[in-house]
Amino acid sequence: MKIQEKLREIARKLLAGGEAGVVIGYAAGSEVSRVVPAFISREEDVDRLVWNPLCINNLVKYLLDYRHEPGKVAVVVKGCDSRAIVRLLQDNQISREQVIILGISCPGLINPDLVAARLDPEAQIKAVTTSEQDFSLQTEREIFTFTRDEALLEKCRYCEHHTPVISDFIIGEEIPPTTPLDPFTAVKALEELPVEARSAYWDKQFSRCLRCYACRNVCPACTCRECIFDQAEPCWVTKANNLSENMAFHLIRAFHVAGRCVDCGECDRVCPVNIPLSLLNRKILKDVKELFNVPTPGTSLEELPALGIFTNSDPDEFM
Amino acid sequence: MKAYIMTGDNLGAWLDTLARDFTLIAPVKEEENVILFKPVKGFAEINLNYTNSTVSPKGWIFPQTEEMFYFSTAGGQINLTDVQAPRPAIIFGLRPCDIKGILTLDPVFNGAYPDPYYQNRRENTILVGLCCTRVERHCFCTSMGGGPTDGRGADLLVTEIDGGYGLEALTSRGEELIHRYQGYFTPDQHSRVILAREELGQKLAGQFTRTVDTTGVKEFLDQNFELPYWDEIARRCLGCGICTYICPTCHCFDIFDFAPDGERGVRSRCWDSCMFSHFTRMAGGHNPRPTQKERVRNRFLHKLKYHRDRYDLDGCVGCGRCVTKCPVNIDIRQIIADLQEVAQHA
Ligand code: SF4
Ligand code: SF4
Ligand code: SF4
Ligand code: SF4
Repeated sequence: MKIQEKLREIARKLLAGGEAGVVIGYAAGSEVSRVVPAFISREEDVDRLVWNPLCINNLVKYLLDYRHEPGKVAVVVKGCDSRAIVRLLQDNQISREQVIILGISCPGLINPDLVAARLDPEAQIKAVTTSEQDFSLQTEREIFTFTRDEALLEKCRYCEHHTPVISDFIIGEEIPPTTPLDPFTAVKALEELPVEARSAYWDKQFSRCLRCYACRNVCPACTCRECIFDQAEPCWVTKANNLSENMAFHLIRAFHVAGRCVDCGECDRVCPVNIPLSLLNRKILKDVKELFNVPTPGTSLEELPALGIFTNSDPDEFM
Repeated sequence: MKAYIMTGDNLGAWLDTLARDFTLIAPVKEEENVILFKPVKGFAEINLNYTNSTVSPKGWIFPQTEEMFYFSTAGGQINLTDVQAPRPAIIFGLRPCDIKGILTLDPVFNGAYPDPYYQNRRENTILVGLCCTRVERHCFCTSMGGGPTDGRGADLLVTEIDGGYGLEALTSRGEELIHRYQGYFTPDQHSRVILAREELGQKLAGQFTRTVDTTGVKEFLDQNFELPYWDEIARRCLGCGICTYICPTCHCFDIFDFAPDGERGVRSRCWDSCMFSHFTRMAGGHNPRPTQKERVRNRFLHKLKYHRDRYDLDGCVGCGRCVTKCPVNIDIRQIIADLQEVAQHA
């Protein structure tokens, strides 16, 4: 809970001094296993801010809503989220002067389903401790311990940057990069399959896409003023839900975020029908890394998106 | 109302037969944690170990994409061709909240202005309900006037009982189905089915983790259209279509033509979502719901007020799907509770 207290202290100062007009962070949700994005603009509301291993949402995209507002916006980011800040800065969607980055050194998060299964939905998390082996959540009455093995969120098993890559404040002790699991294991397994099997695999996945566009709306790399999937004239992709239109949607989006996807995992998280979007985006990420020898997009401000620049050494065998 | 009993083995055999004689739509485990209603070829494909399907089964009465007719303007003439009428279908395994969802759609499409597409499917589809055996974390059907063993609206209601299944025919159509396949059933001489269902209902009543009370909420909304509260909710809303697309009662659609060669094509209607920014955009570009605030407000007013204004029915059946799936925890149970609190202090 030290992080939470520190976070509130900084937020309070920023708001009191008028340095930030709003602090975007997390507050307790409608049940113990959920948090909600919170927009705190008054000092007296600062104590609504929480930090616990259920703070999954990437809040960075909300910065776009404040683009034309006066004043600065402070935003809470974890390591993975921080790459999205770099994304928005490189895409000129936000200006560095306008944002105050409250970076949290994140030891990893818990799968909320496990919390929901064990804790009373009305319970409140009073304290949290994390160690190398486990997470302990203390509620009013009890302490619940989850081993990292069972409970660590899938994306955190592949975490590259526990400590944000860009920030104005670092809250919590810096966690140096560890050697995570190979993020491309699943991609490689799929690559091994014959082309027909791969095609059948994706056909099955895309067939059930509802085209709710949650994956696009949550994505920090999707910032077009008018998305082509929303255009009525010309209508590139119709509203009809069938494999062909769904496939068009997914392939177009995958290519639009190619080399720009920061691997934050949000699209995968929000999909209501569990389409493995990480797998799709990581395949492209893997190719981009191999072809251009670049780090994960968003890792540093200086490293421009591989497909956004041209150098003479770029592979060009397709030309 | 007549009741019948069947063994577990007979359920499988009966469903295999139904799949042969009808288009049988039933819950299928599509992926880990994804249950969808889909056409099946037999019992082996069906998964009964679920409470709520991931997406509501409404799409089998009101499809996400419904082809309305084909057209051709070749040779300077307009020719319209009807699409093939759907085969008679049976939806098996509808949970009580989803049956109620269909009853909520009925007055919209089958009321004063009957919609032939909806009507056609509705009349050609037999609804076989299935009582819940456990209550999920987000279920709140009892708060919305339903219940996990309340199968009203189905043609047949199935309840798991000791050593098999109980069936109750709730309509003449349900009764006919029993008659047609009578070899699979034995009449329930001792009211075992009703007793088992009532007992199950009592057991499940204690499993709800949260109830909501809508008393006074509609009346408050009648008087209060502008509320700062909607800004607060809208601020975090992603404006995606998850809630509206998985909901058993949402029913907005858009109509458009698809004619790749410009001469021949198909006119379809497709689900649309009031949460999308383009939903209310007019031809000239004006948008009467310019921000997410108006859109979010519309969704909840539709559920809690407009549907009641128009049809005297709640627009939400308490299935809990949107609660489970909203990525930013916009929880209708919380919204009802918040509105009630505001109402009490107003
Ligand atoms: S991926 Fe890393 S920074 Fe992101 S939530 Fe997991 S542990 Fe934290
Ligand atoms: S979130 Fe999932 S269902 Fe929705 S559009 Fe994206 S892939 Fe399709
Ligand atoms: S495509 Fe998915 S993982 Fe990549 S940046 Fe967008 S939301 Fe994050
Ligand atoms: S509004 Fe939500 S809880 Fe109510 S019926 Fe629709 S999906 Fe279910």
